[in-house]
Amino acid sequence: MSACGCPGSQTMAFKREDSTAPAGPEGVVKSQLAQWPLQLHLINPMAPYFQGADVVLTADCVAYALGNYHNAYLKGKSIAIACPKLDSEQEEYVEKIKTWIDEAKINTLTVMIMQVPCCRGLLALAKEAASQATRKVPIKYVIVSLQGDILEEAWA
Amino acid sequence: MTANLKKKPETMTDVIGLYIKDVIDAYPAVGDILAKAEIGCVTCSVGTCLIKDVVSIHNLTETQEQALFANIAAVIFPGQTPALPKTERKTPTSGTQKLSPPLQALVNEHTNIKRVLAQLPALIERLQKGLNPETRQTVAEVIDFIRQYADRFHHAKEEDILFKYFDAGSDILTVMMNEHEIGRHHVRTALAALEQGNAALIIEHLTAYGALLKEHIRKEDEILYPWMNRELTDSQVGQLFSKFNVVDEQFGAKANTYLGMIDKLEKG
Repeated sequence: MSACGCPGSQTMAFKREDSTAPAGPEGVVKSQLAQWPLQLHLINPMAPYFQGADVVLTADCVAYALGNYHNAYLKGKSIAIACPKLDSEQEEYVEKIKTWIDEAKINTLTVMIMQVPCCRGLLALAKEAASQATRKVPIKYVIVSLQGDILEEAWA
Repeated sequence: MTANLKKKPETMTDVIGLYIKDVIDAYPAVGDILAKAEIGCVTCSVGTCLIKDVVSIHNLTETQEQALFANIAAVIFPGQTPALPKTERKTPTSGTQKLSPPLQALVNEHTNIKRVLAQLPALIERLQKGLNPETRQTVAEVIDFIRQYADRFHHAKEEDILFKYFDAGSDILTVMMNEHEIGRHHVRTALAALEQGNAALIIEHLTAYGALLKEHIRKEDEILYPWMNRELTDSQVGQLFSKFNVVDEQFGAKANTYLGMIDKLEKG
């Protein structure tokens, strides 16, 4: 890979201090997922679990990078996942997010993305949908580093 | 040692569990230390906050907090090096934070209120020359703005909605609500004075209101709202946003009318 290659697909390995240690105090993290499906193409934006909900729109890679994703960000929220780099027909995504805001009357939208530049597209897509919606909701964004740290968390 | 501080604290943990006014009364140098840390408790009229609550609400870094406690310890325990406690903190670090949309809306409303407060000295100068019909009209418009926009619109969002998400008995909310009431007293009295044609009384109460609200807004923008911002969950932020929107819709076009009034006031 050349030094000027795509940061989103650059090959890297991270050293962890002790990969055999338990993952947390109890070694097991309970899932906070409360719905199916998850993928933004597959979800029905009018599903009951989106009505008035706090929704977290998560880039595909985030939940793998972020160790405490379930407890810190998914708990109590409804979810959809997407990849702004690889997914096709993203105009449907804009329509679904608009439907969340205007029809399902979601309470908040949190967009979680990786630090790689291509991931910004998901936040841009959410903002575009919000600007087209009649209703307004608070939008928060969270940027996760490749090593699984929170780089930035703020209201858009 | 004052009567309020019945015995000298033995540890710094004891100290941070004391009422801040009692400590400042007994050790005035502590007031100077807090003031240097931009914790303006010396001027507070209530003073029922515990030191640990006051410090934690200011979101100091651990380093800043430990330095502050060390300076206080040097005053209360001179020549000794007592163990320094740590306050509980929801977020581990300080620094600027972007307010959530509903709290930012309140800050934006403060900006409009401060524009009117900035015009009070000029209005008071006019009042000192006499209460002619034109000045009477301006005073009436300013009082109407304060009662409708600052109080019924803005303060109602705080008291009827935002503050409900927090402990109503907490020290900081007690101080804020108390200041709202004092402000209302000044405005009621200024309005009665206007009806009586008593320019001196209008000057007295508009001056007091301006000073009170300027400091009140500073406390909210710099301390209260950032603290609330850290405490509110995302879900609560969404609820606040929706509830504030309802209030905005109810107030409707009147907001623009008052913004026009501010423009007119600034142009003189």
